[in-house]
Order: sequence, then C-alpha cells, then structure tokens
Amino acid sequence: MPKVARLHAILWGVFSMGGFIAAFLLPVLIYLVGIAYPLGLWPVAGGDPTSAILNHHHIGTLFLFVTVAGSLYHGIFRFQSTLTELGLAPAKRALEAIGYLIISVGILAVAYYLLLNPGVLSLP
Amino acid sequence: MIREWSSFFVAVFSLIYIYELSLFPSGAKDSALALMRNPGIIAFNVVALVFTLYHAFTWFYLIGKVQPIKMGKTTSKPWQALLVNIVLLLIISYAVIWILVLR
Repeated sequence: MPKVARLHAILWGVFSMGGFIAAFLLPVLIYLVGIAYPLGLWPVAGGDPTSAILNHHHIGTLFLFVTVAGSLYHGIFRFQSTLTELGLAPAKRALEAIGYLIISVGILAVAYYLLLNPGVLSLP
Repeated sequence: MIREWSSFFVAVFSLIYIYELSLFPSGAKDSALALMRNPGIIAFNVVALVFTLYHAFTWFYLIGKVQPIKMGKTTSKPWQALLVNIVLLLIISYAVIWILVLR
C-alpha cells in the first residue's frame, strides 16, 4: 500500500473511532456539564460535574480525554470534508491544514490541562 | 446533509469544553462554571445534544443497513440495530453517571 493511502486509511480509522466515541460517550458529557449542571437537573443538582469527574483521578481524566479528543477529531474531520463537498473543493488543502492544526492543538491542550489537575499523576 | 452538519456541533462543543477545562487549573474555576451557566451556552448545548443524538441514531441505523447480521434463516433489520445500540447508549450513559458522578 502506498504511504499516502496508508496514512489516509489510518486517518479515516481514527475518524471512525472518534465517531464511536461521539456516539456513545459525548451525549452524556453534554448532558452533565452543559444542561444538567446549569439547570440543576439530576444527577448534578448543586454540584459541578467536571470537578466530580476529575475527582475520580485516572478513570475520570481518561474519560474526559478520550471523549473530548475523540469528539474533536471526529467533528473537525467531518466538518472539513463537508465544506469541501459544499463547493470549497479548491480550498481543500487549506481546509485540511486548518482542520489538522485545530485537532492537534486541541488534543495537546486537553491533555495538558487535564495533566495540570492535582492528583492526576498520583498512584490510585 | 443534516447528519454532516451535526459534526459542527460536536466540534464546537469540544472546543468550548476544552476552553472550560483550561480555566480549572489556573484557579478561574468560577469563570468556567459561569460560562456554562450562560443562557446562550445552555441553548447551544441543548441544540448540540439534539444534533449529537441525531448523529448517533442515524449512524446506528446505517450500521444495521450496511452490515446486517444473519441469524439462521433471518437477517437483522436496520431498526433492530438502532434499537440495540440505543439500549447500549443508555447503559453506557448510566454507567458513566454512576461511576463518575453518583459514586
């Protein structure tokens, strides 16, 4: 398999994994931090779900990293290819470059900020 | 086309949440929480949840259409794959809530 085709296969494979994560893990995260917390609904009435999740050091941090990084990759990758299908094909290279830049910076940022959380690197 | 646009909401929610996470270690946790209580952000999150579920449900249906499972003489229908995956989504969501929030 040529190198470029192999790279495309890997990128689409990661995209599919991101789709799996966005389908099964992202809805509950959106509900917890974006709807239940500000509206005071079950199960986070009064509490802050992000702190509650981060308090479960390793598994909580892993959940946030996998969900946010996977969803970001899936969302940006799909949106960038949608824009090329909508008539922006001449700018495909530029869109891909911007898309991969956002994905890379976003994934590094989420890893960095999660590692800054006290207790993340301590033993369970 | 609606399915393709749903990825926009997935990406934007992820970026907003990364910004919120960035405020936690710097001691600006209250600013992060105030951001999530902003009515505009709440409205966006409701729309994002609807689009994310639409994205998931259409994907579950497509799985059943593209890869039907043969069981003896019968073949599974797409709506059966949709139903099984919705049940799986509910189980995973409750498990996440139970392990990371309620315990």
